Amino acid sequence: MTPLKTVGHATHRIDALQRVTGAAKYTSDIHLPGMLYARVLRSPHPHARIRKIDLAKAMVLPGVKAILTHENCDITWGSGDQLNQRRLFNNPVRFAGDPVAAIAAVDRHVAEDAMHLIEVDYEVLPFLTDLEEALKPGAVKIHETGNLSLNNQRQPQPQTYRRGSVADGLKAADRLFEDNFTSAHHNNAQLEIRVSIAEWAGDKLTVHAATQGIANCRTDIARDLKMNVDNVRVISEYMGGGFGNKNQCQDSDLIAAMLSEQAGAPVKLEFTRKEDFVAVHGRWSSRQSYKVGVKNDGTLTAIQLTALTGAGAYRKSSCDLSGTEIYQVPNLETSVSPVYTNTAVAANYRAPAYPQGVFGIESLMDDVAYALKMDPMEFRLKNMTRKFRDQTPYTSIGLEDCIRKGAEKFGWKQRWKPVAGSGDGPVKRGAGMAMGMFGSGLGRSSAVVRLDGQGQYHLHVGVTDVGTAAKTTMGLIAAEELGVPLEKVTVVWGDTDTCPYSVGESGSRTTVQTGMAVIEAVRDLKKQIAEKGVPKGNEVLTAMATTNPAQLQGQSRNSFAVHFAEVEVNVETGHAIVTRFVSAHDSGRVVNPLTAQSQVQGGAIQGIGMALHEELLYDKRSGLPLNAGYYGARIMTHLDAPLVDVVWVETDEPYGPFGAKTLGEPTIIPTVAAVANAIYNAIGRRVKSLPITRDKILGVLA
Amino acid sequence: MKKISRRRFVEGTSAGIVAVAAIPAAEAQQKAPVTAAQPGVPRTTIKVIVNGVERRMEVEDRWTLVELLRDHLNLTGTKIGCDRGECGACTVLVDGTPLYSCSQLAVWMNGRSIQTVEGLAKNGKLDPLQEAFIQHDAPQCGYCTSGQLMIAKALLVKNARPTHDEVRTAMTGNLCRCSNYNHYVEAVMAASGTAPSTGGGNAA
Repeated sequence: MTPLKTVGHATHRIDALQRVTGAAKYTSDIHLPGMLYARVLRSPHPHARIRKIDLAKAMVLPGVKAILTHENCDITWGSGDQLNQRRLFNNPVRFAGDPVAAIAAVDRHVAEDAMHLIEVDYEVLPFLTDLEEALKPGAVKIHETGNLSLNNQRQPQPQTYRRGSVADGLKAADRLFEDNFTSAHHNNAQLEIRVSIAEWAGDKLTVHAATQGIANCRTDIARDLKMNVDNVRVISEYMGGGFGNKNQCQDSDLIAAMLSEQAGAPVKLEFTRKEDFVAVHGRWSSRQSYKVGVKNDGTLTAIQLTALTGAGAYRKSSCDLSGTEIYQVPNLETSVSPVYTNTAVAANYRAPAYPQGVFGIESLMDDVAYALKMDPMEFRLKNMTRKFRDQTPYTSIGLEDCIRKGAEKFGWKQRWKPVAGSGDGPVKRGAGMAMGMFGSGLGRSSAVVRLDGQGQYHLHVGVTDVGTAAKTTMGLIAAEELGVPLEKVTVVWGDTDTCPYSVGESGSRTTVQTGMAVIEAVRDLKKQIAEKGVPKGNEVLTAMATTNPAQLQGQSRNSFAVHFAEVEVNVETGHAIVTRFVSAHDSGRVVNPLTAQSQVQGGAIQGIGMALHEELLYDKRSGLPLNAGYYGARIMTHLDAPLVDVVWVETDEPYGPFGAKTLGEPTIIPTVAAVANAIYNAIGRRVKSLPITRDKILGVLA
Repeated sequence: MKKISRRRFVEGTSAGIVAVAAIPAAEAQQKAPVTAAQPGVPRTTIKVIVNGVERRMEVEDRWTLVELLRDHLNLTGTKIGCDRGECGACTVLVDGTPLYSCSQLAVWMNGRSIQTVEGLAKNGKLDPLQEAFIQHDAPQCGYCTSGQLMIAKALLVKNARPTHDEVRTAMTGNLCRCSNYNHYVEAVMAASGTAPSTGGGNAA
């Protein structure tokens, strides 16, 4: 791989100064003149029909300016549910936390006081918190189509994938393995709570949104409010994390807009931390059943996965499961059924379908390797994917190098114990590994670049930068293609009035898709400079590009990751900590090694929390959430975090900006399974349910 | 539903303030209050020093310190991540002691000196911690960064050459969901002039 001048060199963020001085204005930091403050009243019941809402006392409280309920606001929130009509205020309410009313008042205290003055008469309905219970005949129906959510073809059937014949593959096997794994609903829990500020000027609406994609947020708002998209402006200059929590437009954007319209003043709507846990969304839970056939020499002959996933009360995302694609196997069937319950909604959270699916398949593959007396690393080298779905060649694949180089850095040969559970004393050490992959397709996104008469380049890209350093990445790509230092490029971002369409910082697509648009725009600008000369004085040259999504010609473009974990487990207390971690990644060329390292280390540490602690618990008798908030969720802290060593496998990738592939989401995909496998290696017993908490560790040891 | 007022909640859960040596005067942003106190609500006049500048102001008794800073002094560098003493995003120094400003009432600040992230840079020169945070890419999304800076500042004032375990222990009440803990510890170690060859993390 040829070294480049700008891309590939560690560069600090172009907005780092603003972030360390408090000058960066996040959405909640914005204060407009005459702005009102809003709060949402939510259902205290998991399932209920609203008979009556009495607003009389709240309306007369001095300082209250607007109140919305299902009676005066029937806006459908399109991105809140892919299949059912989900309104901003629903009747019946389908989970504890479903919005019932929203109040705008002169300040947060008055809004909170008014909330307590609204009287709601509920007819409490039977409710469901358990996936299997929800599918039993006679269970209360949460949606008209039943509790088994429709598949992507809108049929009441599971989502399926098949190649070959699992029956034949199992017949051809020497050994059969069957097992079940479960994973819990847990929350994105980004530090910035959901917040929106809406302001109308005539028929024009401006929304300051904490969004991962200003362009998609804008078109969603226009669709849901039945507005011309040109009349909607979305601004998000600094964003405090999302991890999938802030894709598209959120109900807070729409509620703020409707409150603002009713009150005739700008409205800021900020959720509370508790609302963020129960009323936004988290990662879907799963119940996975596998059958695997294998030859005595370790060759896989068949994999079958049948699973339920927990959609919660609405179907906001795919609720699918991934993981099996990492193995080469001629016969594969997967069947995934999303199920509704009266619990918090599940949708996108960093690699939405992956870490929990990879936990299932990689736990079972580990068991297969031990049963065949094979080193789990050798088993993976033998069975890892070579072609996408055993059929389509990859544009580049560094998976084997990720395994080998990662193992070397980790010290796999010294740290992995051939006899799981061996060792004296109450504190047992163990090592585990797991693989993952993620699509890195090319797609539509745009960029505008202009050169002014003073020799400064201005790059307009519709990124918000959710923490990924996207602004800096776009600047680096432009500087590289222009052959100028980064300082010569001013990046303009975060406002639909000044930036063209960008794909949105979801699906780990921005570097690849918007980055390609930047390169194409710059190439056009260079052509113009060659033809017309460098602009002088007040002159300006402008170029723009929108990338063409289809250019892979029968190939699959994927990123790969292999993670290695070492744990210490105290078998007397059940306490597990991760003591060493190595993340080996093939994301093609690394555009900015400094910020990329942050992402990889952060993804792994976040994933360790998913492996060991995090779960939103529900009380089965009341249907209410028990531990919403940071204390209850036990997300990772400074003291929990191991040092994560990063190994880059920079494949020579022919597509993408300077050969870059996707990075953000792969960083968490194999983490959970690597930790789970390390715990098995330490104690010799398998915990088959996430999170792997102390009680579960003591349970399998008992 | 039983109503618990913000004031009663904060009074019931928050520990008292321990006064230590005052910090040196800092630059302060002098801006008009963004929103005024509401009529008919109990209020108190307090005198506070914010980033080195003395101010006399009337506050509602129910305002928290973070509310005073953000909504009424326009010091929005201090963030609210949970508003219930769980995450540390709102950490500021009160008479040099790091406190969660969401869990302090504004009226308790009478006679006290508060330092926020806006008061870290002096005479246009960044604090060494801010420099190190930039160079080591400590902020990802940046939302917890002000809090991490303030807790790190308090640590280094007390312990100029901490070990990396001391840094992790001191900062563990400050959550980072981007989980950039390795780079945060690395940056604090660099600022203290005792950068180890490795970053933070459980020792293997």
